[in-house]
Amino acid sequence: MTVSTVGARAPRLTLRRRRQLAGALFALPAVALVIGLIAVPIGQAIYYSFTQWNGLTSTWIGPSTWTQAFHNPNLWTALENNAWLLLAVPFALGLPLLIAMLLHQRVIGWKIFRSIYFLPTAISWVVLGLVAERFFAFQGTLNSLIHFFGLSHVNTNMLGYESTALSALGITFVFTMIGTNTMLFLTGLATLDTSLEEAARIDGAGRWRIFRHITLPHLSRFIQLAFVMTVIALFSALFSLIFVMTGGGPGYATTTMEFLIYQTGFAQGDFGTAALYGLILFVLTAIVGIVQLRLIGSDE
Amino acid sequence: MAEITFSGVTKVFPGDVTAVDNLNLHVADGEFMVLVGPSGCGKTTALRMLAGLEEISSGTLSIGGRVVNHVLPKDRDVAMVFQNYALYPHMTVAQNMGFALKIRGESKAEVDRKVREAATILRLGEYLDRRPRALSGGQRQRVAMGRAIVRSPQAFLMDEPLSNLDAQLRVEMRVEIARIQRLLGVATVYVTHDQIEAMTMGDRVAVMRGGQLQQVAPPQVLYDHPANEFVAGFMGSPPMNLVRARISPSEGRVGLVVGDQRLDVPAAYGASHDLPREEGAEVVLGVRPEDIDVVGGDVTGPTLKTRVERREALGAEILVHLSVADAGTARSVAYDEDVAVARPTMLVARMAPQARVEVGDVLTVRLNEERLHFFDSTRGVTLRRECA
Repeated sequence: MTVSTVGARAPRLTLRRRRQLAGALFALPAVALVIGLIAVPIGQAIYYSFTQWNGLTSTWIGPSTWTQAFHNPNLWTALENNAWLLLAVPFALGLPLLIAMLLHQRVIGWKIFRSIYFLPTAISWVVLGLVAERFFAFQGTLNSLIHFFGLSHVNTNMLGYESTALSALGITFVFTMIGTNTMLFLTGLATLDTSLEEAARIDGAGRWRIFRHITLPHLSRFIQLAFVMTVIALFSALFSLIFVMTGGGPGYATTTMEFLIYQTGFAQGDFGTAALYGLILFVLTAIVGIVQLRLIGSDE
Repeated sequence: MAEITFSGVTKVFPGDVTAVDNLNLHVADGEFMVLVGPSGCGKTTALRMLAGLEEISSGTLSIGGRVVNHVLPKDRDVAMVFQNYALYPHMTVAQNMGFALKIRGESKAEVDRKVREAATILRLGEYLDRRPRALSGGQRQRVAMGRAIVRSPQAFLMDEPLSNLDAQLRVEMRVEIARIQRLLGVATVYVTHDQIEAMTMGDRVAVMRGGQLQQVAPPQVLYDHPANEFVAGFMGSPPMNLVRARISPSEGRVGLVVGDQRLDVPAAYGASHDLPREEGAEVVLGVRPEDIDVVGGDVTGPTLKTRVERREALGAEILVHLSVADAGTARSVAYDEDVAVARPTMLVARMAPQARVEVGDVLTVRLNEERLHFFDSTRGVTLRRECA
């Protein structure tokens, strides 16, 4: 069979080129949004960190904010608090994993338990903060519970002391993350091919070995995702809990980077320094995100 | 290595669904037993009970003389090949194959040696470091086999291991699995819905339907002497033709009426079969497609006048669909259909590709009078004396 080519014109653009062009065009709105909503504010934050800015007018003062900020002990306290709070992450992952494993076994009443565990996710963190504040207060639920179990001489006031307030905040944070992470792990478990578990049972594996060699590797992606989400929440979503529970105190005991930005910018009116702190927090969060993405990517 | 015995094994699922009903089956040491049947016949449930993945509702199941009803899968010393292979996705081929040995606590060197040995048998040597997702379907299937054979188990259990492969690969792997099983001599229970796999692979084949065992026999015996209409219709492609016939008096022969045509078959059938004697009594006559020949003019033997309705050329043979002229009703030949439907009696004949047959031709066909089958018209069981 022959095909006449008379009159056929070579296209100006190859199909591949045209597809690339179309792809770029479709991506343009999203790129514009990213630039407008992320790149521009970051650029502005960098600019303002070199200025003295009261929210209305800014005066260029050069790098003095940077040099002063790093001599501010509150910045190091906040960074230290953030670092200590990272200790809550294993619990914010481990507990939900345990709960998800139990729910996945379809224990009696698992549907009710699933709803109960997911409940905190549907409640505002402000409300959770208020509940936690009442729980840890001197005349709160925690002490009532302790007294109920016969330890009437024990009286805690975790939010009242610098040494324990951060722990109370960490515990509350773990509680707020349980619902989301449990759901994430339950989703992961639901995608696990049951025949893998059966194959492992026939291969001689007991419960622990099946968990260690089959379930956990399958869940690794979900755990990585939960890890990123948890760390990012820890760095950038604790504000409402801190605001309601401790106001950053006692002293600076529960002031995290995020809360320090608020205090510096809105309480002290020093938006230039707040912008710099914002940049530091952004870099920290970005590092965690990039490291995680690399870890996830390296598996492929 | 060991023998396997199902004694009155029954499985009832919640909701009173009986998946396996009083299964009695013995698999000898080293035997390749195929469980075959349509979807939902209970074959996979039977296998899963053997593996320990399903509880047994009643009856006794033993492997190597040991009752295993309440023995955990890991303590049964059986290896299973799953339909979807169930390879551990995060492990390499070598790790997949060595997993059971590692759990058993064998030394790394020993695991490595056994894995390499199995890989050689399965021609997987060059893929040992790959992950399952980097393998083709056939290679994955071989890894699943490898995982089973490295363990040197008492029995192999295989759950439709070839059903995810394309037709050509399926033929290759059929031969391969049969070769390996014979090489290792381990008792094997192989579940399939494919009667060709059953016919070509099994030392014996157990045909199941609705949770009940229909017949257990070597493949050729199943084909030549099916115990009932179901087995007759299930084994063989195209299946055996099953047509309703009425007993009619005949001099020195057994007289039958199919539709409204007379068909006399040798008197020997009267001796070898429990054929009803009263005139007009109904039987089901079975004849394999290859036992129907086109004949011309006056011939001896049982003949029928037919009309060609359809012609399917398969290359090596042609399948000719014939309607029996002036016919009455026929039982459906579909194995899963019990209801008799009113339609012309149809026969499928297997002919050589050279046969000059066209749609619309009126042909006289002769049934091979040595190879006819008779079944009870109500119970469907064979009327052969030694099998009945």
